[in-house]
Amino acid sequence: MKVILVGFGFIGRGLVKTFHEKLDKIRILDREFKLVGVSDSRGYLYDEDGLDLEKLADVKRLSEYPNEYREGGSAEELIEKGNADLMVETTPTNIKNGEPGLTFMRKALSEGIHVVTSNKGPLVVAFRDLTMLAEKNGCHLLYEGTVAGAVPIFSLVRECLQGDKIRRISGILNGTTNYILSRMYFEGTSFELALKEAQERGITERDSSYDVDGIDAACKVVILANALMNRNVKFEDVERTGIRRITQEAVSLAKKSNFAIKLVGTIDRRIEVAPKLVPINHPLCVHGTLNAVYIETDLAKELTLVGYGAGKETVSAVLNDVLTVMKRTQVENHKSWKRSRA
Amino acid sequence: MKFDLTIALADRPGELIRALEPIAKNGGNIISIIHEREKPSDAFVPVSLVVDFPSKWNLRKTIEDLKRLGVAIIRSEEIIDTTRVTAILIGSVDIKRLAEAGIRNVKIVGFEVSAPTSKDACLKLELEIPTEHVEEALDDIRRIAKAENALLLSPI
Repeated sequence: MKVILVGFGFIGRGLVKTFHEKLDKIRILDREFKLVGVSDSRGYLYDEDGLDLEKLADVKRLSEYPNEYREGGSAEELIEKGNADLMVETTPTNIKNGEPGLTFMRKALSEGIHVVTSNKGPLVVAFRDLTMLAEKNGCHLLYEGTVAGAVPIFSLVRECLQGDKIRRISGILNGTTNYILSRMYFEGTSFELALKEAQERGITERDSSYDVDGIDAACKVVILANALMNRNVKFEDVERTGIRRITQEAVSLAKKSNFAIKLVGTIDRRIEVAPKLVPINHPLCVHGTLNAVYIETDLAKELTLVGYGAGKETVSAVLNDVLTVMKRTQVENHKSWKRSRA
Repeated sequence: MKFDLTIALADRPGELIRALEPIAKNGGNIISIIHEREKPSDAFVPVSLVVDFPSKWNLRKTIEDLKRLGVAIIRSEEIIDTTRVTAILIGSVDIKRLAEAGIRNVKIVGFEVSAPTSKDACLKLELEIPTEHVEEALDDIRRIAKAENALLLSPI
């Protein structure tokens, strides 16, 4: 399988390192696996025989790779010439119009290239369009890394809850706000101080309102609602309240009644992101930067998944999606080979 | 609908069986029965039943039938299943105004205020709400909080 990577930021670089470290394992699945192209916002690298993963894992910028870096070249050009089977898209999230990732994903899917992404923006803006485009062109579109990072919620539902109807989903979907609220709960710090600590630790977005005003969590709620509950939800449909008004007094009062205040995204009668009182013995009551997703279904009843929702752990989700596409295409190839023999 | 139905039976063999027949005939499902033999008065024994009837009409018919059999009714009242809900309001919300707003079906059974003079005062409420009306009662409180520019923290 020929793979191209669009976006060479934190996740993109982490994925290249992981491809290099786990190459033997990947090649057991697909002997032909190679990364033929990588693009960033300024240009791209391309080698039809496959880029040297060891060298690529060592560079911070693509222009440092010892090969011709096509400065000024666009990701679209790479998609056109790459003759790839799969595009991994890891450009930064833009929830206003999904760009530039949305254009890249549309282009790849239109050309019959499978897509794996960790970018929420295009899915928040155009979930239905993209899934329909993928279906029309016989492509796989996987996005495990977009919600709750390494927590395999979409894979779990897709593979293990195929006959279940999901009635309700609630979750702690933003690690930064969970860190802030945990500091307020355990250390008695103010919101302002806990936010400052989070910024110093580098776990907030550049614009902290993205975290604290619930924007990031609302994006994830949109994707969960559309992907797992067959809703047609837009970002504006989510009732959203952030955590700016949570005071130390409120945290203490809640604590006295055995509740912790958590920013919770909920999809049921209402679709909302809001600070809620979570009983301290409830499975959703996780602390620090952890994420948790609580799924209620008709058959399995309640299931809780807990894990890290951002950072390098997200690479696990992206890699699993890549391997899933590999396995699926092998099965499809085998079927068409059998048909051609019949 | 669950009802607490307490009847007085003559302290004779077979009376209880006789009294249960109208309950079954009128669609009542007996959830519990306490035959209070230690509390007889004037040769009558009180029997407390919790019965699930499809409607109040079924209860009324049962009471009529029991009375025809000569069974005295000591008490018959609906048992309302309630849920305790904790909620916190952040902002300058006056509990008196909240109580006066008359939120349907909600009984305030406890409260605690923190930093009452601040614009970010916190008011913790312990509420008792009929279980089937919890969602709509919280919607009502949410509307009041919004009108007062307060933030409601409700349980998940």
